[in-house]
This record gives sequence, C-alpha cells and structure tokens, in this order.
Amino acid sequence: MFSRNKIDNSQVLSSMKAKHQRYEALVKAFHADIYRYAYWLVKDQSVAEDIVQETFLRAWRSLDALNDEKAAKSWLITILRRENARRFERKQFDTVDIDDVSIHDETQHADGDLKDRELQRLLGGLSVEYREPLILQLIFGFSGEEIANQLGLNKNTVMTRLFRARNQLKEALEKPNEQRGRVNG
Amino acid sequence: MDELEFRRRIYADPETTDSEVVEAAKADDSKRHFWNEQKQLDKQLKQALKVDVPDDLANKLIWQQSADEFTRYKRRSRWYLAMAASVAFTVGIALTMWHHKPISIGGQALAHMQYAEMEHAHSLLPVDLNMVNAKLASFGASFNEMLDGVEVANYCHLSTVRSLHLIVDTPQGKMSVFVVPERGDVTVPSEFEDKQYRGESLKLQRANVMIVGDKDADLSEMKEAVAKRIQFSA
Repeated sequence: MFSRNKIDNSQVLSSMKAKHQRYEALVKAFHADIYRYAYWLVKDQSVAEDIVQETFLRAWRSLDALNDEKAAKSWLITILRRENARRFERKQFDTVDIDDVSIHDETQHADGDLKDRELQRLLGGLSVEYREPLILQLIFGFSGEEIANQLGLNKNTVMTRLFRARNQLKEALEKPNEQRGRVNG
Repeated sequence: MDELEFRRRIYADPETTDSEVVEAAKADDSKRHFWNEQKQLDKQLKQALKVDVPDDLANKLIWQQSADEFTRYKRRSRWYLAMAASVAFTVGIALTMWHHKPISIGGQALAHMQYAEMEHAHSLLPVDLNMVNAKLASFGASFNEMLDGVEVANYCHLSTVRSLHLIVDTPQGKMSVFVVPERGDVTVPSEFEDKQYRGESLKLQRANVMIVGDKDADLSEMKEAVAKRIQFSA
C-alpha cells in the first residue's frame, strides 16, 4: 500500500514536472508573438498584457488537452481570441468601439524609427477584420488556409481581406499628404 | 495573368510560391518590380509589428501559473481537510447512533441477579408496601397489595435504564423482579437465560416487568402475582 503510494506519488511528481517544462517551453516559444498578436488585436498594451496572462493561465489549466505541439500556436490563438471576446462581453458598456478611435501610444514606440511609426499608425488604422488576418500572416507566417481555419472564414474571404488590407496600406503610403490612419475599404 | 489578378495574388500573399505568379513575374519586369516592392513593404510591416514585449512578461506568465497551481493545491488540500472532517463527523454520528441502538437488557438483568445475594446483605430494613410503592411512584406505578417475601427493593441500572429491583424469597428460591420503565431505545426480551438463571418478561401498560429466577424455577406464578398487583396511575 505504502510502496504503491510512493510510486504513484513519484509518477505524479514527474508528470507534474513534465507539465511544468511543457508550459515553460510554451511560454518561452510563444509569449512574444502572442503578446504582439494581442496588442495588434486590441491596440492597448495593458489590455493586451491582461489578455495574454489570462490566455496562458487557461492554457496551463488545460495543457493536458494539447496533444500536438505543432498545434500549440493556433491553440493559443484560439484561447486568446475567446478571451478577447469575453472581455468584450464584459466591457460592452464601458468601452468605446476600439475601431472607431485610432488610439496610438506614441511613447511605446518612441525608439522605433519614423518608418516603423508610420506603418504602426497605418496598421492601427485598419479595421480589425482586415488587420487580424494580416497580423496572423505576418506574425505567425500562417497561410491563407490556416488563417481561414483560425478565424472560421472561408479561404477566399481571407484572401480578399489580405488583399484589401495591403491595398489600403499601400494607398495610404502613396498619399502622404492626405489624412491617413483610417481608411474605409 | 493580367495586372489586377497579379496584384491581387501578391497582395494576398507576398510570399506566394504559386507557379503562375512566378511565371508572370519572370515574364514582366514591372510585375517583378511590384512584387519586390511588396516584399520590401512586408518586411517593414513585420518589423513594425514587433512592438516591445514587456520585459518580465515571460516570468510573469510562469509565476502566475505557479500561483494558480498553489491556490489550486490549497483548495485541493482544503477539500481533503473537509473530506477528513466529514468522515470524522460521520464516524462520530455513527458511534453515537451505535451507542443509542436499542439496548437489550435481559443479560443485564441476569447479571444483576447474580448480585442479588450481596444486595441482600446491606439491606436490613424490612421492606413493606409503602416503601415499594414509594419507589415505584417514580415510574407512575404502584402495587395494590404487597408481594410475599420481598426482601430487598432497590433502584438499579440495567444498562442505562433506571429500574426497580425487588428480590423476592419464594418457595422456588430467590427471584428477582425488575420493573423497567418503557423506553423507546430499550428492548426487553420476552425470555432470556444463562447457565444459572432464566428470565421472562411481562409487558405492561407503561413498564416492563422482568422476572428472573433459578434455571428450573417456574416463573409463571410470580408473573401472575405481579401482574395482578401492579397498577399504573392515569
């Protein structure tokens, strides 16, 4: 009885340890990209950080459900999007629609060069339905199909949105004298 | 592939390896130029997307996980504690119930019978009807006539039941008469015996009467005598 308990305990401990290692590997591999994705989704550093924390907490709690390490990225993104949607439900009444206001935190990027800041402003100005597929493609290197799966859209819609996103960016860049930031497609 | 379609495909994915796109770019300088431009822009966009990640984010994420685990562990041990408390509580209740389970006092009566002789020794006062009735009064009972040969009348506890123990000298030897008040958790066996004595009981209105005598004694006479004399106040 006792020796069996001991074995069980050590098995539990070693599986616990393995779980920790998995989790830490997950954090190290993805936290930066996941944070950036969150940031570009919500355009607010502290909100992004909150969402990322919540995302990883949920990831930790259901880490056993993650069987395929290759799927980790899209698994985390799925959790994050759900978290973000939840935040919207919660804060429905005390926030303004993020897409209506082009907020940009200049201090965050004061060290970036002018071109970066310009592009960041333009990216922030894209509506979220165009911005999200674009950041999935640029940050995670997702293919059109992967983006479609992730967002639950069909591939043609995704390709169209990617096209429009870049098109809008391009147009905005080519018309430096006009007011930019928000471009309606 | 026309210009618009080419741009469409490039805009959708500047990293495309689509052979049609590649062929079209090979065949047309301006397309190639456009593609390169777009690749360049994508590079810049990727750069621009790399906003600073809070320095301690990775550590925070690992820390909050341990904290979460700790609170869950605490919750879990609290759960165990609750479980243990609950088990202890149940055991406690069970023991109490077990204690309260109906007591069969036939055996107790037999044991008391064995002490009847000693009892006899320290009770030298003659026992009369008044004395017996005084003691029976606490059970709401009385004798309307004295039993013959009562030598001792004393309260005794059969298990936890206070009862009146009469030791009666009869032609068939010493007998004990126990008057046991009715109690829900006490069962009185109708007959009981051990190596030396045997007993029978008599269920009356508000009490049980047990008669214990020698193994070969006939108890029916005494039973009848008691039944005839005992009465209960309303």
